Amino acid sequence: MGEALEPHRLDTEATVAAGPDLPGPFAVGRYARKLQEEMRRRARVLLVGEVTGVGRSKVQAYFELRDGEGAVPCAIWLDDLEKAGLPEGALRDGAEIVIAGGPDYYPGGGHASPGFSFRATHVRLAGEGDLLARLETLRKQLRAEGVFELQKKLVRPLLPKTIGVVTAESGAARRDLLAGLERRGWGGTVVWAFAPVQDRHAAPAITAAIQGLAAQPQVEAIVVTRGGGSLADLWAFCDETLCRTVAMLRVPVISAVGHERDSTLIDDVAAVACSTPTHAAEAAVPLDCGAARVDLRRGLAALRRAAEGSVRARTPHLIALARGPARALRRERLALNQKTREIRAASERGLIQRLGFQQRVAGVVLERAARRAAGAEMERRRTALHRAEVALRAHEPEHTLARGYALVEDEDGEPLGDRAAAAAAERVRLRFADGSVGARIEDTD
Amino acid sequence: MSQPPNSYEEAVERLEQIIDRLDSGQAGLRETLDLCREGRDLVTYCSGELDAVGEGLKELRLDELAERLAASGAEG
Repeated sequence: MGEALEPHRLDTEATVAAGPDLPGPFAVGRYARKLQEEMRRRARVLLVGEVTGVGRSKVQAYFELRDGEGAVPCAIWLDDLEKAGLPEGALRDGAEIVIAGGPDYYPGGGHASPGFSFRATHVRLAGEGDLLARLETLRKQLRAEGVFELQKKLVRPLLPKTIGVVTAESGAARRDLLAGLERRGWGGTVVWAFAPVQDRHAAPAITAAIQGLAAQPQVEAIVVTRGGGSLADLWAFCDETLCRTVAMLRVPVISAVGHERDSTLIDDVAAVACSTPTHAAEAAVPLDCGAARVDLRRGLAALRRAAEGSVRARTPHLIALARGPARALRRERLALNQKTREIRAASERGLIQRLGFQQRVAGVVLERAARRAAGAEMERRRTALHRAEVALRAHEPEHTLARGYALVEDEDGEPLGDRAAAAAAERVRLRFADGSVGARIEDTD
Repeated sequence: MSQPPNSYEEAVERLEQIIDRLDSGQAGLRETLDLCREGRDLVTYCSGELDAVGEGLKELRLDELAERLAASGAEG
């Protein structure tokens, strides 16, 4: 476009200061108009996406058309919109539409702001095919991220006491779900979080309802359900934000959206996807309470049988055990009698032997007694001997001399026992304990 | 029962084990009587759980539940 524009004349210094060696500078207003021409020359195409931020001026409607990857500001003249023949209010936030047109640029004016927009000349609501294509893209993306696996890992309680349900307040789904729960024999608490369930517009309300239920600690499972419809009707349940929210919950979500042939993204992301609200009731309360009560009664009966049977089977043994003491006594008594007889027989048999034995024993005993007696006599004698010895020694003259007496002996050593013998001897010897001395008898009167 | 079960499924699983063991005929008298006592406790627990969801379905709106919780929280 630069070729068609003539650069402003500027002095050299200014050109150098403005930047590197590029064409221009051009007058901006003219540049804007050229930009508009360029845009309008670009190929006209069909775009599909979700409408957000719808607004209207006196002459045109404007909105953004967006999907998960980006958005384009769009505008359509009211005349063109009217010609499209859309149902009343169809062009609204959340609607999935297809538009035909091309890029445009409004160069602005003295007081009007410039802006880019995709100028739509035709508009229609998105058909099943358009939605399916978008759905597949999103599905592929979420699957690749592992978003579908998160809820599948949660443990679903067999017998929840409280379940949360997101559905339309007036709808067959609500009634069917309740009927399914009652058929299950389940009489717990259902917490309803009602939300609009039609179109993409409903997605934020459904998301908020699910989050609200998940925030209640007593809610053990959440059912999201609505009846069948076109994919466009069910489109809210393909919302990316809704699906990502469900994936992150710690409470299992059971989806029952549309009929069996319908496949919404929430079915992929939920812990369990069911084809009908009735099936959702069974998934939310996996235990058939009626059957469980019967099973419990059977279990209890089995336990009683086991306990009674176990005792009964052991009764004969127990009775035998109970009779045990009497039988044991009898057995002991018999054994005792037998022993007595044996002992008696043995006694008789061994009498003679025992007599001989006793005689031998008596001989030995007597001998021992004799020996013992002889020993005593000897001792007695020894003692008497000792006593005599002591008495004898007491009478020895040495003992008397030891006490200081003296013995008068003649010169031959013969004792002189009286006065006359001593007078006759004239010379005597006085014998003390420690020796003798000579002496002479002088006075004989 | 050494410890009360944490959930209905846990109780039922244990109950099945008990009945299998009793059916095997391998349990002695003492074990049989102990298992029967434990089994009866489990049946009582399961019955209680079933009774809790056996008094007719109750319906509540989320906002009512939230208000009730808020009120009980304020009282607490």
